[in-house]
Amino acid sequence: MRRLPALRAAVTALALLLAGCSGEGGRGAQGVVRLSFQSLAWQKESVEANRQLVREWNAAHPDIQVDYVQGSWDNVHDQLLTSFEGGEAPDIIHDASDDLADFAYGGYLADLRTLLPDRLTGDIPRRSWATTTFGDGVYGVPFLQEPKVLIANTKILKSSGVRIPTPGNPWSWPEFRQVTGKLTKKGTYGVAWPLKEPVSVTLNLGLSAGGQLFHRGADGKVTIRFGEGDRVMPGTVRDQVNSQRSAARSALGMGGSDTLPGFFGGKYAMVPLGFSYRQQVVEQAPEGFEWTVLPPPAGRGGLAQGVSPQTLSVAEDSPHKEEAVQFIDFLLRPANMVRLARGDWMLPTGTEALADPALHTEEDGWATGTALARALRPAPAQSVRGYPEWKDKVATPALQEYYSGAIGTEELKKRLVEDGNRVLARYQR
Amino acid sequence: MSLRTGRTARAGQYAALLCYLVFLAFPFLWLVSTAFKPARELGSLHPTWIPEDPTLDNFRQAFDEQPLLRAAANSLTAALCAALIAVVIATPLAYVTARHRGRLSTAATGWVVVSQAFPFVLVIIPLFLVLKHLHLINSLWGLVLVYVVWSLPFALWMLAGYVRAVPPELEEAAAVDGAGKARILLSVTAPLLAPGIVATALFAFITAWNEFFFALVLLKTPEKQTLPVVLTHFLGAEGVADLGPLAAAAFLATLPSLVLFAVIQKRITGGLTAGAVKN
Repeated sequence: MRRLPALRAAVTALALLLAGCSGEGGRGAQGVVRLSFQSLAWQKESVEANRQLVREWNAAHPDIQVDYVQGSWDNVHDQLLTSFEGGEAPDIIHDASDDLADFAYGGYLADLRTLLPDRLTGDIPRRSWATTTFGDGVYGVPFLQEPKVLIANTKILKSSGVRIPTPGNPWSWPEFRQVTGKLTKKGTYGVAWPLKEPVSVTLNLGLSAGGQLFHRGADGKVTIRFGEGDRVMPGTVRDQVNSQRSAARSALGMGGSDTLPGFFGGKYAMVPLGFSYRQQVVEQAPEGFEWTVLPPPAGRGGLAQGVSPQTLSVAEDSPHKEEAVQFIDFLLRPANMVRLARGDWMLPTGTEALADPALHTEEDGWATGTALARALRPAPAQSVRGYPEWKDKVATPALQEYYSGAIGTEELKKRLVEDGNRVLARYQR
Repeated sequence: MSLRTGRTARAGQYAALLCYLVFLAFPFLWLVSTAFKPARELGSLHPTWIPEDPTLDNFRQAFDEQPLLRAAANSLTAALCAALIAVVIATPLAYVTARHRGRLSTAATGWVVVSQAFPFVLVIIPLFLVLKHLHLINSLWGLVLVYVVWSLPFALWMLAGYVRAVPPELEEAAAVDGAGKARILLSVTAPLLAPGIVATALFAFITAWNEFFFALVLLKTPEKQTLPVVLTHFLGAEGVADLGPLAAAAFLATLPSLVLFAVIQKRITGGLTAGAVKN
């Protein structure tokens, strides 16, 4: 019996200790709305731009204060899923459109259709909104996008005498193949395709040749078909690696950054990379190294290519959705969108921001990338249910074997289509 | 003949050991080398082990961009508390399971095996909900609790092994000399278990120090984030990284573990019960 008071005291002390070390409830002074904004910005300039914009907002809106929380691209899906399930998700969520489908269909994200101001809705083109539209709802604001471009060694390019492509007059896929042949000399490959993750590159660049692969029927069901347009991009790459030998075989297993030392060392004349890789080129290129940004090859679909823009969403559980959208509207005003885009070395989605002179300078290839903006489309299949499994279990190994020359076009087609449709069927019953 | 065979075998063993050491040391040496290289050297086609133009810029940038000291303090708090609590709980439990074979011992062993089979992603949502009800989300104490629970089964299993290695004859001899149970535990068993306790604490510390996923999910505000979470702020989408500052920060993050090992190594490897019992 004597032990009870001691036990009670110990429990009370523990409770006090735990309470003292626990987080706050996320609410500020009475009447002040507190929003948490989880940003995935990671580059120094980008983090600074985001933080500065939050400071500006907080200074101008004493009644709606935003807390900046730096998240991480690493494991962001699992982190968000857990936060959603636990009812502790940030109010404003930075992510990418290809990660939103599960959250949108799962009811974790707010449908923004009735909340978005007309200015923002009208400023961002419909093709960009399509990347965040799932079913009838809009579950995120697409604001930054990144096309693939060819980053080229200017000296090698000029000395070879090949025609320099422009967004108005790009290389066709056959011409691109000829050019890489001409650029290939002893010790130098015309191109290095970093295809460690081959699926999204193949699908996204395939759009330029009229490839589509995923076809949605009248009943809403998606099936995979491998048409003439779908053969062009992968066929060109396979040919460059295995027959023409103008593309480095060793690069097939590389990520984008891995190709840069070879590019700087003159081993590769060109590397197809995301637009934001320019920042690494600027930082790491040896002094005196001259480089330029070229548009990717074009085909029946022109310069079309798929992108999965970065997005800002609002948690369905947030009690302050309107205020959260007000903050997003502020963050994505044209001038602010330009600041964010330059900080991340990407393109803004907003029409007004895209017209900003700062994004049309020839320096660091900004003008070339900006000229591609109108050709950007939603990445194929990003909203198709079963796509992640198809990508991991079917398409990735099939494309890796195809590019390395282990299998031919017919086998690739068989696996992508037959095996792929079996996977999709399971998700569309 | 047998002498020659013995020498050959010994040479082979040393060669294998050398290969293993190189295999273990390579990533760390590469990390150190990268941490001191300027950005332009990181893009070199012919990288060198020794930086041609060594710099501390990566360290400066890492400290400028991220609150590394604060994160390290959080990691240290969480890891030390977790190690301490895990050892305090596991030591008596290990003694009981090792010395008194019965249902409890079997159940504990079963629990150890089963608990190791659960992947993080499977338990994280229920765990998150439990901690939310306890108001321990975004709290270092919540994280400590998780680390203790997570490391306890293995700590228990590890310590039980050390307890079994202490000959029961020693305790019996002390009992014959008139020592009580508490006296035996404190004066005879505990000193002999010290290396095991230190090794187990080290295991719990390093597990907590390096842990990323629970910390990422459970801690929300930047002021409470731990070092592994802050390190990922140098990583972008699709594996792109700010390599120099990342290597510099990661190098600093490995130092406490290295120092701990260096200091404690002798205690762990020192003879556990050498000479305690005459056969």
